[in-house]
Order: sequence, then C-alpha cells, then structure tokens
Amino acid sequence: MPDAIQIDGLVKRYGNFTAVDGISLAVKEGDFFGFLGPNGAGKTTTINAIVGLAAFQSGTIRIFGNDITRDWRTARPLVGVSPQEFNFDRYLTIRDVLLYQAGYYGLQGPAVKRRADMLLERFGLSGKANQFYTKLSGGQKRRLTLARAMIHEPKLLILDEPTAGVDVELRIELWELVRELNRGGTTIFLTTHYLEEAEALCRNIAIIEGGRVVASESLATLIGDRSLQDVFLDLINQERAGAQVR
Amino acid sequence: MTFAPGAFTVRNYVGLWTLIKREMKRMWVVINQVVWPPIITTVLYVFVFGLALGSRIGMTQGVPYGTFLIPGLIMLQVINESYGEASSSVFQGRFLNHVQEMLIAPMSALEIVLGFVFAGIVRAFLIAGLITALGVLLVHVGPSNWGLYVLVVALVAILFSSIGIIFGLMAEKFDHIAIFTTFVITPLVFVGGVFTSSKFLPPLVQKLSLFNPMFYMIDAFRFSFTGRSDIELGLSLLVVFGLACAAFVAALTMTAVGYKLRA
Repeated sequence: MPDAIQIDGLVKRYGNFTAVDGISLAVKEGDFFGFLGPNGAGKTTTINAIVGLAAFQSGTIRIFGNDITRDWRTARPLVGVSPQEFNFDRYLTIRDVLLYQAGYYGLQGPAVKRRADMLLERFGLSGKANQFYTKLSGGQKRRLTLARAMIHEPKLLILDEPTAGVDVELRIELWELVRELNRGGTTIFLTTHYLEEAEALCRNIAIIEGGRVVASESLATLIGDRSLQDVFLDLINQERAGAQVR
Repeated sequence: MTFAPGAFTVRNYVGLWTLIKREMKRMWVVINQVVWPPIITTVLYVFVFGLALGSRIGMTQGVPYGTFLIPGLIMLQVINESYGEASSSVFQGRFLNHVQEMLIAPMSALEIVLGFVFAGIVRAFLIAGLITALGVLLVHVGPSNWGLYVLVVALVAILFSSIGIIFGLMAEKFDHIAIFTTFVITPLVFVGGVFTSSKFLPPLVQKLSLFNPMFYMIDAFRFSFTGRSDIELGLSLLVVFGLACAAFVAALTMTAVGYKLRA
C-alpha cells in the first residue's frame, strides 16, 4: 500500500535562500502526523509544495503513489488543505464557498449540495450559509476552512496551524473533529506551534528546522519519558548549533 | 521554462464551468461598478456627440454621424470591459489569495485561462448588446452583418481578456492595472477611430493610425453596421485575430509556468 505522503529529496529555493533543503518524509495512510518546527523552518513551504502551490527545484512528492508533478490530476483530489491564512472568495456566500470549491474539483450535483449542507451543519455554520465570509467570527472562519478542505472527501487532510488564534473551547472542538476524521480513515498531516496539541493528537512526528528534517519517528520513541517541548527545543538548538558549524 | 504535463489540456469541464459561473457571480455582485457606468457613459456620448454635435457634422464615411459613432462606442466599452473583467479578477484572486482555491484543484492552466477569457467574452457581449439596444432606441441604428458583429466582439474580447490576465498576473497593486487603461487603451482607442474616420486626419496621422491596433478593431466592427471601412476588412480581421492569438498564448504561458501564482 503506498504511503499517503512520500517525499524524497525535496529542495525548494527562493533565489539564494534555501527554504527546504533536501527533505525526505513518509506518512502512512491513516496516520495522524505532526509536522513541527519554529517559524520559518519550512513547514508551510513544504505544504505548498505538496498541494501544488509552490514549484520546487528537485525531489519528488507522491500522494498515495501519485507523483504530484506528473499525475497532478489524480493526486490533487486526494488532498484537502486548510491553510494558515484565510483565503476565501469574498464574492461567494458561505454555502457557495463549499459548492464552488467542489466545482473546481470537478464535482457538482445534488450529492455535493447535500454534503455541503451536512458540513455546514456539522461545523455549526448552517445559520450563516447565505452570508459572506466577512460576516463570520474568527472561529467560524477557521471552521469554514476545514469544511472547505473536506468538501471533496479527501483521503489526506493537511491542516496548517488549524487552531492558531482560536479560543480554548473551539480548539477542543476542532481536536475532537479531526480525531473523528482520523478514526474514519482520513490521514491527517498537522502543523502547529502548540506542542501540547501535537502531543495530544499525533502518533508520528517530524521536526523541521532550517529546511532540514531533524527528527522523524513515533511520538513515543521521540520523547520517551520527556515532554515534547523539551525534546523539540533540544533538537532545534542542536540543529542551529550544527548549522553554525556547517 | 517547464510546464506541468497536461497544462494545456481541458478535461475538468465542471471546474471550467465553475470558474465561468464564479466570474458571472462576481460581475453580478459588482454590477454597479462594471455594467451601469459604461452604459451611462455611452448614453452621454450619444447625446453630446451623436445627437447634439452630430447633427452639425453631417455624413461621415458615407453615413450619418450617429450611425458612424455607435459601433465605435461599442468597441470602446468592449475593450475596456473585457480588459477590466480579467485584470481585476486575476489580480484580486492573487491579492486575496482565493486563486489558490483553483490552483490546488485539478485545473490545468488552459482551463483557468479559458475560464477567465470566456467570462470576459460574456461580459463583452452583455455590454455590446446593451449598447446596441441603446443605438436602436436612440439613433435607430443596428448592425446589418451579425456574423461579423459577433466575430469582432469575440476576437476583441479574447484579446483584451488575455491582456487583462497578463496584467492581472504582473500587477503588484491595483494602480498597475489602471496604468494600461490610462496610458494605452484610452489614448489608442480615442485616436483609433471611435469618433472620427481616419480620412479626416492629417496624412501623417493617417499613416500613424496603421500602427494603432485599435484602428483595425474599430474599423472592422464598424463594417458590421455600415458595410463600409477605411481599410480592407480582411486585413483588419487578420490583425485582430493575430493579436488575439498572441495575447492568449502569452497569458496561457504565464499561467502554465505559475508566474506570480505558484511561489
């Protein structure tokens, strides 16, 4: 069975700056995978490369065995992404945000409309269905990013800082929701700055710093009897010290 | 320059249709900015130039001035509207990042460009149709060659929607989009025969008009109303067709390489 994500030797440069420096990574199907790192480490760049928003200089990325450069028509529908920044179409109502996103994936008809209504219900947005996203609160916008990411029933859900800026209540609600999705078979690829969140949710963790993966193993093996925060800080500091020597 | 395999294919017809629908929806939301202003401007041009001054001008290119003026005004608005449709939509999509909704989906560069261009064509025909109706109502003038009318509006809309995509991709701020309108479209259209026949111009300016692409568009389109033109119709159509193809290929190439779309 192919991995949900298989990255080999990914290199992404912006001019002379190397944002991602030859990383390799494998995420098993059904996994709840945490992709952690400090600001500017290369997390979002890696995600952008996976979902096709960033071209890269070398390496390969496969989604369930499909090369995202060569087989992009097959690979892209397998992925849903909830981006860090809100990027909704301001000319569409909330319900249309979901229906038009489905349309871009080539989906239309009564089944899609039912799924959109189901997602709106599930995310507590039914009452806002005919409003524009500018009328939503921060938490509601965050829920809408998740609903939009799921409209085409992807097998892999990429969540880039899904709980950034949301209150505790919604954070717990979102945790439960993604756990439920994962139990249902959806592979989750999560980036977060809240290490306790990663510790509570993820089975496997990769840590990236300076565009290089400095650790990639199961949560249990990685932290042993320490906290994720301690291990994370040690690894980042070691990598920075090593980078200075290099 | 490398292109993704399949960048120039059309398979996701639902995606393409969704983009066209989205553009129509956007046009509806901003109808007060994009539909009524060109109509009101045209009505004013018709009253001031066509009816008030036109009666003193007499025959132009062998037809009453009002008959001469209407097709020029239609071209003026078709050019502005098809450029405005694509340029502002592409730029906004980049600026507000919602273009990413398409970029992460299985939509090829050709599907995306066709979506924006087709939307530009629809808007061009909407505006052209409304102004044509005004022409019939106000000066009792309508096209006599509908085939040519449709062909020229479509070619001009393809040309300026494609240029709109190019500028929508290149622009770093909204001002950059207006630069093309202010410094290129408006001057070239105004000296390109909207209000006067090139025969009224001094000989040197007449020769310079041959380097003005708008001159060919307006002249060919006017033929669909009056059956007369300053220049050979075939040559005008060839120029407009060639420019439309070149602009479309340029917009498609920029989209396919992800110019300012994919980091």
